[in-house]
Amino acid sequence: MSSFAAGVSRPLKITIGGVRGVVGETLTPDLLTNFSQAFGTWAGPGKVLVSRDTRPSGRMAQHCVLAGLAATGCEVVDLGICPTAALQLAVKDSDAVGGVAITAGHNNADWNALKFIRSDGIFLNHHQAEELLNVYHQKEFTKAAWDELTPIGSDHQAGRRHLDAIRAQLDLDTIRAAGLKVAVDCTNGACSDFTPGFLSELGCEVFPINDDPNLPFPHEPKPDAANLSQLRALVRAAGADAGFAHDADGDRLGFVTEEGVAPGAEYTVCLAAEMVLGRGDPGPVVTNLSTTMRVEDVARKYGREVIRTRVGQVYIAEAAFNHRAAIAGEGSGGIVFPAINYAHDSIAALAHIVELMARTGRKLSALVADLPQYDMVRETVPCPSQRAFSVLQELRDDLEAEWATEVNLDDGIKLIGADRWVHVRVSMTEPRIWVISEAAGPQVAQDLADSYMQRVKRLL
Amino acid sequence: MPVIQSLKIGVSGVRGVIGESLTPQLVVGFAEAFGTYLGGGVVVIGRDTRPSGEMIYHALVGGLLSAGSEVIDVGVCPAPTIGHAVVDLRADGGIAITASHNPAQWNALKFLRADGMFLNSYQGEELLNVYHQGAFVIESGDALGRVGRDEGAVNRHLSKVISATNRQAIASLHPRVVVDSCNGSGSRITAGLLEKVGCEVIAINDTPDGHFPRDPEPVPENLGQLCEAVKEHGADLGFAQDADADRLAIVSADGEAISEEFTLAFACDVMAEKRSGPLVTNLSTSRMIDEVGQRHGCSVLRTKVGEVNVAEAMLANHAVGGGEGNGGVIDPRLHYCRDNLAAMALILEGMATRQVTVKEWAESFRPSAIVKEKTPCSASNIQTVLLALQRKYAGEELDLTEGVKVLWPDAWLHARPSATEPIMRVIAEADDEAAARGLCDEAIEAIDEAIG
Repeated sequence: MSSFAAGVSRPLKITIGGVRGVVGETLTPDLLTNFSQAFGTWAGPGKVLVSRDTRPSGRMAQHCVLAGLAATGCEVVDLGICPTAALQLAVKDSDAVGGVAITAGHNNADWNALKFIRSDGIFLNHHQAEELLNVYHQKEFTKAAWDELTPIGSDHQAGRRHLDAIRAQLDLDTIRAAGLKVAVDCTNGACSDFTPGFLSELGCEVFPINDDPNLPFPHEPKPDAANLSQLRALVRAAGADAGFAHDADGDRLGFVTEEGVAPGAEYTVCLAAEMVLGRGDPGPVVTNLSTTMRVEDVARKYGREVIRTRVGQVYIAEAAFNHRAAIAGEGSGGIVFPAINYAHDSIAALAHIVELMARTGRKLSALVADLPQYDMVRETVPCPSQRAFSVLQELRDDLEAEWATEVNLDDGIKLIGADRWVHVRVSMTEPRIWVISEAAGPQVAQDLADSYMQRVKRLL
Repeated sequence: MPVIQSLKIGVSGVRGVIGESLTPQLVVGFAEAFGTYLGGGVVVIGRDTRPSGEMIYHALVGGLLSAGSEVIDVGVCPAPTIGHAVVDLRADGGIAITASHNPAQWNALKFLRADGMFLNSYQGEELLNVYHQGAFVIESGDALGRVGRDEGAVNRHLSKVISATNRQAIASLHPRVVVDSCNGSGSRITAGLLEKVGCEVIAINDTPDGHFPRDPEPVPENLGQLCEAVKEHGADLGFAQDADADRLAIVSADGEAISEEFTLAFACDVMAEKRSGPLVTNLSTSRMIDEVGQRHGCSVLRTKVGEVNVAEAMLANHAVGGGEGNGGVIDPRLHYCRDNLAAMALILEGMATRQVTVKEWAESFRPSAIVKEKTPCSASNIQTVLLALQRKYAGEELDLTEGVKVLWPDAWLHARPSATEPIMRVIAEADDEAAARGLCDEAIEAIDEAIG
């Protein structure tokens, strides 16, 4: 048990994104059971599917979730370990009224979380999440009598059906003909039992690492460049055409070029968009306000509109659905393929980038180089949660940015110019304020971020 | 609107109604408390067939894993199987998910310690202290426990029963037996066991789905269907189980459900002839056990009511047999827990070696009748009532081990406060029912008068 000093925020977040905390401290069996019973009360009666990623606390959490849901009389089906996207697809394709994913995604192994999925396979939006929180806080849960309880079922084919749904979107002949060599780092997460085999089915020569779901995460399960040194070395040693990195639940995708370079997850959405728009899927591109402006460059090439949403998976998924988008995604590496499902899906993203390489016959480094060269700076300012939104309000009242041609206030403050932007927003997961900028030239981007960092700091 | 209290948290475990008081949160809390109490190690979990058992199982596992315990699931099984498994697997404790003879809407947690016996009252008190203090061990990362499955627990238990049984004797009798498992955890496996020890078996209510076709308590008034089946099939006897296969009642060949008190008397009659040593039972059990002691030259020790009290006294005194008059037989050659599979084997063996029918065996005991009554008595009146009874019966031989027991040469009366309800239980045994009822009525009158 680790301790935390008084005054430091407790590692528990009950937000519209679900309930997230540190196991051993805040994410207790009691909390997990209560939230699950609240969800069963909110979503039920009916069928509720449950999945988890591979973190060690997942087993404990899973039993609490099964108990809490079952107590409401819901028909609970346990999918075991599978990507969250597979759970979302299984919910969408069945008569289930909802799903619970037990995963803290890219967070370290000591964290875990419950993410709540509604009957169409999309995460709860903030209206629905507020309803759920009200049920949770009121603690008047549905309690089924003994003869209203339903046996808990299991379904270990959801992961397979998910792969089949992805495969149905691919040009298998083109991918097979290319015979690519692909390295993949599954971070011993939920994709471990799926991606290496799937790449083999696609005719790739596969170099898997960290693909044992029984082992701990070898590094922070976040597919950012900083965590990809092992994959970069593997790509070079194997002479692979590409290396891909999953997070713990198959939501975000990072990649490494054949040169062993990890250009960052901001490129994932660009390459995926290049593939889907190039294939001719109709519709706009959806991304969030903090994602690279290269998305506009790709969309422009195919004459498509870009729709920008608040930061958060559900906003992307709902906008993709409402606007009948060709593709949606964010700079974290989470990509939505509406033809498959409205879920962030790193296996689908990986497969589509492989197809892009096969179809164009270009090296991954060349596909990256085809995109405009911008620099992004991501800074944070620590800020107590209870001050964060006031600070942004005060900053909004005191804006002067002659360079900006557009101001977007959907999620904090985003100032957009012809060749640069800066986005100041409150972190949903930590007590801090993000300042993110992008421009052509590292110094320009840094100066832009610094100037708004200073303004935020002055207000604190 | 008065609140109906269906939750019973006591030293013998946690009992409540599904959909009301026995919530997953409560179960999670008790699992965390038990894991904390044991300080890690391995916990065996088994359950009866009630549909709520699965939900409770998951809540228990969640709480235990969080507290750092390893869990071994033995699945749906007789309650005594769990005790055996705790010992076999060298586990640190166990939890039985069963409300035993209670109706289907009830369920309960019963906690076992490393020797496979239930926690005694002191240990139960300690567990409750941990629960109420709420400072549970909360592990993280790799210190979180894992869950294993033991598929062989039931068969190991059955094998032990079979090897302790004189199968040749039973096979030569080859009795035709109807067994009513009440769709509890004795379903299917009991018929298999009885066949293995040499019986012809007709099984009724042996679908282990927890939908009880009758009140699961194995007492004569619940055994109408079994009585009919015994007659219909021309069987030599019938056995009735409760939901978790710890208590047993017997039906004779003519379709009469004999008192559940005979179960222990018969079983002890067999156990006492095999080996020498004392017999142990509780204060409220029939005097027939004393008759068994006289037959075989064994002493009889009486304890407070409660399986663990009997079991601990048996262990401490090297008893050859024991149990409770409610049909719960403990065969110490196997394990110190009530086990109706072991009881059936003993009784069948006794019938075979004695060449007697159920009726003949029952008639070998001096006729007696037990009457079990109760009268309201709030907790604050218990002391007053017990003192009044002591005064009333001051001239008689008294046993004050638990409540007040009055002993006459040909009868006894036992008044004790219930552990689960605000009532005083009044039990009397005499040569006939009228005499026993007279003793009860007289005591209840004194109790009511003492309360005023």
